[in-house]
Amino acid sequence: MAVTEPRTSPESGPFQPDLDRQKSLWARIWEHRALYVAISPFYILFAVFGLFPIAFSLYLAFHKWDGIGVMTYNGLNNFKYMLTDAEFWQAVGNTFMIWIYSTIPMLFFALIIAFLLHAPFIKFRTLFRVGYFLPNVTSIVAVAIIFGALFANNYGFLNYLLQSVGLPVVEWLNAPWGIKIAISSMVVWRWTGYNAIIYLAGLQSIPQTLYEAAKIDGASAVQSFFRITIPMLRPVILFTVITSTIGGMQLFTEPQVLVGNDGGAGAAGMTIVLYLYRESFINNYFGYGAAVGWGMFLIIALFSIVNWKLVQGKSS
Amino acid sequence: MNRRRRTRWIAIIMVCVLLISGCSIWPGQDDSASSKKVTLTLWYWNRSIDDKLIARAKEKFPNIELTAQKIGGDFKAKLKTTLAARSGEPDIVALNDWIMELFPSEDRFYNLYDLGASEVEDQYLPWKWKQGVTPNGQMIGFPMDTGPTALFYRADLFKEAGLPSEPEQVTRQIDNWDAYAAAGEQIKEKFDGKVFLTDNIGSVYSQVLSQSTERYFRPDGSFIGMDSPAVRKSWDMAVAFKEKGLLANADGWTPTWNAAMNNGEIASFVGAVWMKQVLQEAAPDTSGKWRVARAPGGDGNNGGSFLSILKSSKHPKEAFELIRWLQSPENQLEQYQTLNLFPSAPGVFDTPAMKEEEPFFGGQATGPIFAESAQHVPEAFFGERYPSVHNIITRRLNDIAKQNADPQQVWSDTVHRVERELQR
Amino acid sequence: MASKHLKSLVLYTGLIGGMLISMFPFYWLMVMSTRTTSDIYKFPPQLWFGGELWNNITRVLQQIDFWGAFLNTLFVSGLVTILVLFFDSLAGFAFAKFEFPGKKWLFVLLLATMMVPSQLSLVPSFVLMATFGWVGSFKALIIPGMVNAFGIFWIRQYATESIPNDLLDAGRIDGCNFFRLYWNVALPILRPAFAFLGAFTFIGVWNDYLWPLIVLTDARKYTLQIALSQLNGLYNTDYAMVIAGTLLAVLPLIIMFLFISRQFISDIAAGAVKD
Repeated sequence: MAVTEPRTSPESGPFQPDLDRQKSLWARIWEHRALYVAISPFYILFAVFGLFPIAFSLYLAFHKWDGIGVMTYNGLNNFKYMLTDAEFWQAVGNTFMIWIYSTIPMLFFALIIAFLLHAPFIKFRTLFRVGYFLPNVTSIVAVAIIFGALFANNYGFLNYLLQSVGLPVVEWLNAPWGIKIAISSMVVWRWTGYNAIIYLAGLQSIPQTLYEAAKIDGASAVQSFFRITIPMLRPVILFTVITSTIGGMQLFTEPQVLVGNDGGAGAAGMTIVLYLYRESFINNYFGYGAAVGWGMFLIIALFSIVNWKLVQGKSS
Repeated sequence: MNRRRRTRWIAIIMVCVLLISGCSIWPGQDDSASSKKVTLTLWYWNRSIDDKLIARAKEKFPNIELTAQKIGGDFKAKLKTTLAARSGEPDIVALNDWIMELFPSEDRFYNLYDLGASEVEDQYLPWKWKQGVTPNGQMIGFPMDTGPTALFYRADLFKEAGLPSEPEQVTRQIDNWDAYAAAGEQIKEKFDGKVFLTDNIGSVYSQVLSQSTERYFRPDGSFIGMDSPAVRKSWDMAVAFKEKGLLANADGWTPTWNAAMNNGEIASFVGAVWMKQVLQEAAPDTSGKWRVARAPGGDGNNGGSFLSILKSSKHPKEAFELIRWLQSPENQLEQYQTLNLFPSAPGVFDTPAMKEEEPFFGGQATGPIFAESAQHVPEAFFGERYPSVHNIITRRLNDIAKQNADPQQVWSDTVHRVERELQR
Repeated sequence: MASKHLKSLVLYTGLIGGMLISMFPFYWLMVMSTRTTSDIYKFPPQLWFGGELWNNITRVLQQIDFWGAFLNTLFVSGLVTILVLFFDSLAGFAFAKFEFPGKKWLFVLLLATMMVPSQLSLVPSFVLMATFGWVGSFKALIIPGMVNAFGIFWIRQYATESIPNDLLDAGRIDGCNFFRLYWNVALPILRPAFAFLGAFTFIGVWNDYLWPLIVLTDARKYTLQIALSQLNGLYNTDYAMVIAGTLLAVLPLIIMFLFISRQFISDIAAGAVKD
């Protein structure tokens, strides 16, 4: 298994495959005890700090509770209300649309930026990294003030630019699509650099020897790109797709600080979690909020599985 | 190399474990166990109580160890989670105008009547006092500041549009909402649509409603119905304002509103006394041009806070003494001067401090106007579901104003939504 | 020759253009911190620096205990980051390169935990803290903060592609067990991944707002975001002051990032097999 030839396929996958299926389950577990010890801290902590809240919210989803008083049993009413609530479905629609407007451009830009930064002759790498990284560092409240000022209906910066070239003013925060664009641009601005750095880390871990060997074999730049870079980058791409899917579905802070707890005009910026937050913490319906949370979990899970299959499906 | 690195890691982990388990290394962890002093914790938000007054409280009550915590941001969320977990509860907590949402949990608060509140009841405005009393007669909130409303207007813009500009004239001639709307049309014409009468549809609705003796529920908890005269009147007036083009569509608490005010796009609004502070900070360029007159249609109240004592407190008597002192008429007057918090104790309305001339309002003394307003606020019953119903209505009104939705359509949709809401 | 220069030019233009867009809002933040609140919405917009920076900063420092909150935040963020790096890399490495019974389902469970929105667990988590008696202590911030599925997922993905199996083979032949492999083989290779995970864990904890707000009761323990939120008035907020405070809070993060940014450069450029 010594390495003298260049590899053209990724070295992903397990290094220590499980060969002895004949052994009993317990024997195998004991044999791999080191591995279980390695992963157990997370699961133990999770059992205590993650599982209880989740179980609690499942219990709560069948009750009515204002957060302070007594919990009264409510059967399936919370779920019924949710499925028949136009505002809930609007929130689902909004969340998907904002996800489309924001995640796809963001990952695309992030990939491009990562490639640009990876080019060997680029200087001032650190400066660029700081510049692209700044958006993610700043507290979201300050960012919201800025974006509010950018997109404001009457005195916003964007409208100022539009006016100065003679175009009509756009009422960004009154129009449903305008609100979504404003929120999406906040998300893109904030997370592109973050994902670019992830891609950069991935790009930089691809061994140069692969490229050199491919060159010797006569591969062109495009061929190298599609047969070395993309496959080697696939685990990292999968990571960003899954985390942006989950993050996008759970979008909360950006719309809340930009347009408020009600999602702005016509509730165009109301995402699912914002809806959950409003129902729980503002309207004091914690039981209903829990039901919404579970509905949301199902939606995210389904959507994530779809995305996972899309990215991972064509594995070599 | 390996061993050194491993040793370094082990050292780091051990330090972490030590630090976590012995978090008490951090200075100031332990509370001083002084047996003679009574420890009280107070939760409030920025500018709801004067910090200097709190400092003086510590001198005035030497037997009370007072920890005053300023909670920024989501005060209600923190209060509710604390109450839910029954842990870390303060002794005294400030409550805002959503106090009625806590009425169903009145058992978590001390009944201030049991602690002697009735002794001072006659020193405070009756309608404000009653807002802190639950339908069962339990008093959970001691009056702090109030928000009597009045009409803020730009005297210069009014004058230019041919409208009365002196406060007494305005009070007399623009004394109901129809007259106010007519004034708005005059302004619109004069300034060619560049200046609006008022800021947004939600505030028109809320202000008209706040002038009524009814809201959405009867004291027995039953829903009055969306067809109640108070609701219909408020709704229709708000929609009328929209249809006449009198609204700038600037939402409150946004920098857009600030800009609109500062740039002279809005000529007036009906607002509570604490809007003085907001306006001054939002629109410093317009200083000297504003005046205050009595609101068209009558007096109302927006906002205002209360102080309450949680049942978990071990020292309710001392806590009540502290509350009584903090909100004594004299101290309320002082907080009017330092923080612009309008007193709920009418006894101080007549003092010179409340009649000072204010340069921002062109030398007018606005105190007396608000004092008059405060004394005529109609008593009304809110009920614990007031906020959620009110929010539904104002949200839908915004659709009419900002997206030109059909008012009839929105009305029936709103009625439907409110009915659904009440069935939950 | 010319085409190389052209390529270079195009690349630099793209990068700089993107960076200007990226930095513009931040630039505007800096401008606003040097002005008064009413300047923020002047029309036309004010794009150049004013003279109020000192004024704004002094007022922030007067009204909140900035340095105390800074130390608290440094302590909590640093501790959580170290713990997360250690525990998450152990688990991520195991998931990436080893097989064991139940691995697939355990990993699915891991991903599933990321899909539950945190707002949902706010109240029950607080109840838990109350049960343990951790309300008001740093433990409530640190220990739940160690539960970081995201980090495990990241290390797993990174390790999958970057740790060559033959290296591990070589190590195994030398007689290394799992932990030895982790220390000697995986850790050096994972350094760039650590840099990223460490940086963003640190930032996440630094900027965390809602949970510390709920859980901390003693003002002496406040973290920066909570301390800053005290500046918000109920009826009105002095934005210029808040922004100045926010920028002060961001400065340490930028310094930290500059410091470890060099770590992002992987030193496995050659990809050779070590013995």
